[in-house]
Amino acid sequence: MSRPKVMTRAVIVGHKSILKQTIEALYDTNLFHIEDFVEDESGFKIDKPFENAEDVSKKLVKIRSIASYLGIASNEPVVQKSGTVLRELDSKLDELDRGISDKTELIIQLENELKDLDSQKKELLPFLSINLDFDYFRGYESINVFAGTIKGSLEESQVSSITKAFELYVDPQSKSIVLFVAKNDADRVYELIQGLGFRELRVPERGGVPSETLRLIEQKEAEVGKKIESTKAGIDSMKSKYADFILASDEVLSIESEKAELPLKIATSANAFIIDGWTPSEDYDTVVSAVNSATAGKAYISKLEIEEEEEERVPVEYNNSAVVEPMQQIMDLYSRPKYTEIDPSSVLLLTFPLIYGMILGDIGYAIILGVLALAVKKAVKSEAVQPLMNILIYCQISTFIFGILYGEFMGFSLASLHTAHGTIPGLIPGWETITLFPGLSGEHVTFPVHRTHMIMTMIGATVTVGLLHLNLGFLLGFSNIARHHGFMHGLLEKGSWIIIEIGVLIAAVGILGGNSILTYVGAAVFVIAVLMLLKGEGIQGVVELPSLMGNALSYSRIIAVGLSSIYIASTVNDIAFEMIWPDHSQIGFAAIAAIIVFILGHGLNTVLSIIAPGLHALRLQYVEFFGKFYSGGGIIYNPFGYIRKYTEE
Amino acid sequence: MVGEDLVVAASGPILDAAGMKALGAALAITITGLASAWAEKEIGTAAIGAMAENEGLFGKGLILTVIPETIVIFGLVASLLINSA
Repeated sequence: MSRPKVMTRAVIVGHKSILKQTIEALYDTNLFHIEDFVEDESGFKIDKPFENAEDVSKKLVKIRSIASYLGIASNEPVVQKSGTVLRELDSKLDELDRGISDKTELIIQLENELKDLDSQKKELLPFLSINLDFDYFRGYESINVFAGTIKGSLEESQVSSITKAFELYVDPQSKSIVLFVAKNDADRVYELIQGLGFRELRVPERGGVPSETLRLIEQKEAEVGKKIESTKAGIDSMKSKYADFILASDEVLSIESEKAELPLKIATSANAFIIDGWTPSEDYDTVVSAVNSATAGKAYISKLEIEEEEEERVPVEYNNSAVVEPMQQIMDLYSRPKYTEIDPSSVLLLTFPLIYGMILGDIGYAIILGVLALAVKKAVKSEAVQPLMNILIYCQISTFIFGILYGEFMGFSLASLHTAHGTIPGLIPGWETITLFPGLSGEHVTFPVHRTHMIMTMIGATVTVGLLHLNLGFLLGFSNIARHHGFMHGLLEKGSWIIIEIGVLIAAVGILGGNSILTYVGAAVFVIAVLMLLKGEGIQGVVELPSLMGNALSYSRIIAVGLSSIYIASTVNDIAFEMIWPDHSQIGFAAIAAIIVFILGHGLNTVLSIIAPGLHALRLQYVEFFGKFYSGGGIIYNPFGYIRKYTEE
Repeated sequence: MVGEDLVVAASGPILDAAGMKALGAALAITITGLASAWAEKEIGTAAIGAMAENEGLFGKGLILTVIPETIVIFGLVASLLINSA
């Protein structure tokens, strides 16, 4: 139950001549959250960016477009000196730009050439099997040449009935014909072939035998293709050669551009500047000494008191140990806490895995998912994935403990259970279920807990867990309110809920035990508590009363979702084992199919085992638990600075 | 043989008490399931739309989408109560 880091508001004032040094110093500390200046009647204005801003952003755009063209992704950082990167930037950027544009132009040109060759090839194909030199197709005075395709078939006899002076070449497959006819008879022959659906083909302009030409074209195509490949390889080699430079210069330029544009966010007059912002109180001295040493003490820094109405504007930084840190992801997914609120990350560390484990509660799945999470954590170093894997590992520890409590392994029961209908054997011979005490509606509480045989008792147990969880929420809410508005407010708004529950509990005990005095006491406590609530939260609070029951019953999903997971697993087991031993005597060839069913079924259930318990555990935190105390909506602490990955000073 | 079974089945009541109970439990969970699905469909569509505008709304969208899930949980509790009564 930690609170966000205590923040200090600080104002830095100085002459514009030391603005650059001040910005550099603040940037390097990476500890100062700058409040954007909004122009008002004070006479201060936001300033123009530094003169290098335009140049820097131009280069940044260029480097990013090159990076996206080359498809450069962030990789294992190779740290370079930022000074060296900046010095080499111009020449290397030019070199890179020129290299890439030359190569892309060449590729475009080659690809056009390839298209050209392809269309030449297409023109050639109909004449391939006739294989006449194209020079023979033209240059006659008394002969007409018809080259084209027909729909039907053309026999020599059909032509010879019109004229004797002809020469016909037919390719029956592509239905192309080449027909040489004396000019005098050409018209009549043309009529004949037109009747057959003749369509003229363009005769390629270059001479030569088609098969020979085709060979040449294909040779040329291969050459051009090779050239394209080698140019692309050249671009790839440029990519690997310049990747580190591009990543480093992107970083350096981003930093320069952020610094250069800071004057747009602060108040300035003709000669002075004011930087207003926040820093964690523990780091205030670091910021002061950094600014003082950079400006030789010329900047004036002072702390400002945080007024109560300003508390909404204080940026919020978590203050958690490394163990709790992954849970901040779950908090940020909902909303950052307000500065004045309790940060419930450390409570989530307990309650989230607890509920997840209660739902899943299976040794087998805990081991599979735990190993999976460890493997992913090892393989993927991304900052987004690491905390999620840590949360998954926390959840699996809890699942494992509940797995022992439930005696479950991949849907199998580990311990044998004696019921009225006989004994159900367990997976571990000799482990027998011990009956502890009677549960709800005739069921018995046992160890290990057989969830499928004590559903009503488990519903009761999960709703009780829910009530405890909700009351923890009320207590946190009480603490939030009591801290800012006093004990009485807290008691009326949040404490009254707990007293209402106590009243109901006393009355219930009275009714069940037949003790009417206790019933009246309970009812009186209930009425008093409702009046307190009416005073604390108004009529809204009273209207919300039935939701308490809804919220508590909502926790029965813990057993409901758990049961669905058990039933999927045990159904898979049943099908698989039925296939292996059809008549329980010998192993059939269906054993292979059974193994596939077993693996696929449990694979599916493993995936569901992350999603279903995860979502439901999350929902119980967000909706039921947070609803009792949490408002969120704090401003995220975002200090002016940059965590360098690819460069160093 | 098969015919005999049919005659026996037809002569008795179509649903005995246990059958009615089972049917009641089935209806409790079916109808609430459909209701949850219907409600979640509407909210889910809107949540996806909102997320397209602003990815930061994923958390809130998720919460809103799973709120109607409570309906089917209540249905499940009701059907379990019917079964155990």
